[in-house]
Amino acid sequence: MNQKKTKIISYWILAGPPLILFLSVILFPILFSLIISLSNWSGSGSLQWVGLKNYIEIIHDRIFFHGLRNNLLIVAISVLGQIPLGFVLAYILYRKIVQREKFFETMIFLPITISPVVIAILWNQIFSTSGLYTSIIRKISNNPRYVVSIFENQSLAIIPILFVILWMYTGMYMVMYLANLQKISPSILEAAEIDGASESQILLHIIFPFMQGVIMTTTIFAITGSLKSFDLIYAMTGGGPAHFTEVIAIYMYTNTFKYYKYGFGSAVSIIIVLLSVGLIFLLQILSRRLDRKYS
Amino acid sequence: MKKREIVRLFVLCSFCVSTALLVGCNKKGEEATTQESGTITLSAYHYLDQTDKTTAPNFQALVEAFNKKYPNIKINFEFGYGEAYHTKLQTLAASGQLPDMMVVYPGKRTAYITSEGHVQDLRPRFSGHESEFASIALKSQGPNGEMWEIPEDISVTSIMYTNNKLLKELGLTFPKTLDELIAQGETIRQAGLIPISMANKDAWPMQSCLASMLAERTGGMEWFDKAVKGDGAGFDDDVFVRALEIINFLHEKEMFSPGINQLAYMQGLDDFVNERAVYFIDGGWMVNNMVGELSDEQKEYMSLESFPDIPNQKGESGSASGVAGTGFGMNSDLSGEKAEAAWKWIWFYSGPEGSAIRQRFGRLPAYNLKAPDDVDPMIKKLINYVGSIPMGYVLDSVVGAEGIGIFNNDLQEMMFGLTTPKDVASKLEEWVNENDRSN
Repeated sequence: MNQKKTKIISYWILAGPPLILFLSVILFPILFSLIISLSNWSGSGSLQWVGLKNYIEIIHDRIFFHGLRNNLLIVAISVLGQIPLGFVLAYILYRKIVQREKFFETMIFLPITISPVVIAILWNQIFSTSGLYTSIIRKISNNPRYVVSIFENQSLAIIPILFVILWMYTGMYMVMYLANLQKISPSILEAAEIDGASESQILLHIIFPFMQGVIMTTTIFAITGSLKSFDLIYAMTGGGPAHFTEVIAIYMYTNTFKYYKYGFGSAVSIIIVLLSVGLIFLLQILSRRLDRKYS
Repeated sequence: MKKREIVRLFVLCSFCVSTALLVGCNKKGEEATTQESGTITLSAYHYLDQTDKTTAPNFQALVEAFNKKYPNIKINFEFGYGEAYHTKLQTLAASGQLPDMMVVYPGKRTAYITSEGHVQDLRPRFSGHESEFASIALKSQGPNGEMWEIPEDISVTSIMYTNNKLLKELGLTFPKTLDELIAQGETIRQAGLIPISMANKDAWPMQSCLASMLAERTGGMEWFDKAVKGDGAGFDDDVFVRALEIINFLHEKEMFSPGINQLAYMQGLDDFVNERAVYFIDGGWMVNNMVGELSDEQKEYMSLESFPDIPNQKGESGSASGVAGTGFGMNSDLSGEKAEAAWKWIWFYSGPEGSAIRQRFGRLPAYNLKAPDDVDPMIKKLINYVGSIPMGYVLDSVVGAEGIGIFNNDLQEMMFGLTTPKDVASKLEEWVNENDRSN
C-alpha cells in the first residue's frame, strides 16, 4: 500500500464516523427543518406546502420583532458585557492585581455551574411580588401594594434578565480567557517589563494580539448562545407578562409545541440559523480587518 | 479484500452504527403487549403532578384498589404535567407511539390527537350509563357527538372563595352587585388586605376563572352558543367587550392582587389561606388543596360564592363557568381483550369506584355520588355550590389552543393599558373566524 492510499484510509477512518454523525445530527435536522418550514404541518397528519407563507407571517408579527429585539439586547449584553468583563476579570487575576485570586476565580465561575432553572428560581425568589426584595421595600415604604414595576414595562422588562445573564455567564468567559492568558510565556512579559513597557503597552501590543483568536471564538459562542437563549428566560418569566420578555426561541417553542404549528416553528428556527450565520459572517469580516491591522 | 473495499465496508458500518444509534432500536421502548401468564399489560400516560401532596397519594390509592380488583391487568403508567404533558403526547402521536390509554380533554385542548383519529369513541361502551353522570359530563366532545373520554370530575372554573371572618371584621357583607364589590375595595385595602386574590403570571387564570364567567353574564348562554358557532353573534360583540371592560375596571380600581400578572399561580391560594385576601377567584379544583391547607376553624367561615351581579346582566345571577373534566381515553388501535382491559380501567377510574376514592380526597366527581357524611366541609361546600348554580362555558374549552393563547396574553396587555377591550375582542373574533368555527 503506498503512502497516498494509507493517507486516504486513515482519513476515512478518522473523519468518516464524525462526518456521518455531523450529517445526521446537524445537517439533516437543518435541512429537514427547512423543508418543514415551507409547509403547514401540525405535527401529525398530512403536510401541505405553503411556500414562504410562514416566513411572510413571521415578518408581519410584532411579537416576533419584540422577541428579536430582546435577543439582540442579549447579544449586546453578551458581546459588549460578558466578553469585555470576562476579559478584564481574567486579566486582573492573571496579572495578580488582587490577592486571593483563586477565591475570586471560584466565586465568579460559580454561577455557571448552577442549572439555569435553579438560577431562575433564585432570582424569582428575590424579585417576585412575594419575594425578598419586594417584601423589604413594602416594609420600608409602608406600601403593601408595591411591586417591581420594571417587569410590567414593555421596553424595560428584559433588563432584569439581562442582568442575570451577565451575572451568570461572565465567569465562563473569564475562565476561558484566563486559561489562554496562562499560555503566554512569562519570559515575554518579563522582557517587555525590562524594556520598560507600560501595563497598557503590554496589554495592547502583547496580550491583545495573542488573545485575538480566543476573543473571536468566544464572541461566536456569545452570539450563537444569545440567539438560542431559552431555558433561563423560560423558567424565569415564560416570556411574559404579555410577551414582554419573549425571545425568538420562546416564540418558536410556543408556536411549535403549544399551538402545534410545526411548519411555522421550523421557519422561526431557520431564521435563528440565518441570523447566527449572518452575525458570525459580520464578525469574521471585522476579525479580518483586525488581523490586517495587527499584521 | 481490497483496500478500497475495506474503506467502503468501514464507511458502511459507520453509517449503520450511527443510524442505529440515532434512530434508536426502539424494541425496548415498545410497550409489552403480549400476554404473560394470563396478565394483560397496558401502557398509560397520565396527567399528574407527582409532587402534589394531595392528588398523587389519591391516584396511588386508586391504582392500588384497581390492582386488587383486577390482578390480571397490569398498567405501566408514565406521568407528565402542564405543557410538558401535551408536548410529549403530541410527539408520541406524531411518531405513532401513543400509549394504550392517555388522559384527554373534553374540549379543544387535546384536539391534536382526538381530531386526528388517534382516540376511540367510547360511546358504544358508555351507553346505558348516561343517567349515572352529571349532565355537564355528557356534553358532546367531538364534532359528531363523540365521547373521547369519560370525565372524571366537573371543573367549575370560576368560584369566588370568600373569607367571611375578614368580611365581618371589616363590617362588610358579601356584595350583591359589582358596584358594591368595588365599593368594598377601599375598606379592604386600608386594612392592608387584598380585595380579590388572583395570580395571572401564567396568563390563563384571568381567562378561565373570570373572563369566561363574565362573558356568560354579559351575553347570556344563548349569545354564547351563537358566538361559539358564529351564528349571528361573535366575540367582537358589545356584550363580550363589556366583559373585558369589567376586568379592566376591576384592575384599575386595584381590586386584584398587586402585580397580578407577575404572581405565580399558587401564590393566589397562598394569600387567601393565609388570610391576606378577602376574596379569591379560582377554580373548584382549589378545594383539593384547601382540604389540606385550611384549618378546621377556617373551613367553617370560608364560603364558596358566585361573582356578584353586573350592570345590564343578560346571563343568570349566581352563574359560574364550568366544563366536564379530563379522563382516560383509549388508543384507537386497541382491540380484543386489550381494549376490554383498557375499558375496565377507564370505567374503574371515572365510574363509581374511582370517583368515590377521588371524592374522599376532595374532588367533585362527574359520577353522581352521594357525599359521605364524614366528607371534608370544603368538599361539602363545593358539592352544594355546584349543585345550585347555572353553568356557562369556559373559553379555553370552546376556542383552540392558539386562539386562547393569544387571548390570554392580550388580556395581560389590556391590563397594562397597551390595548383596549374592543381590540382584544376583535382579535379573538378574527382568529376564531379564520381558524375555529367548527364547533
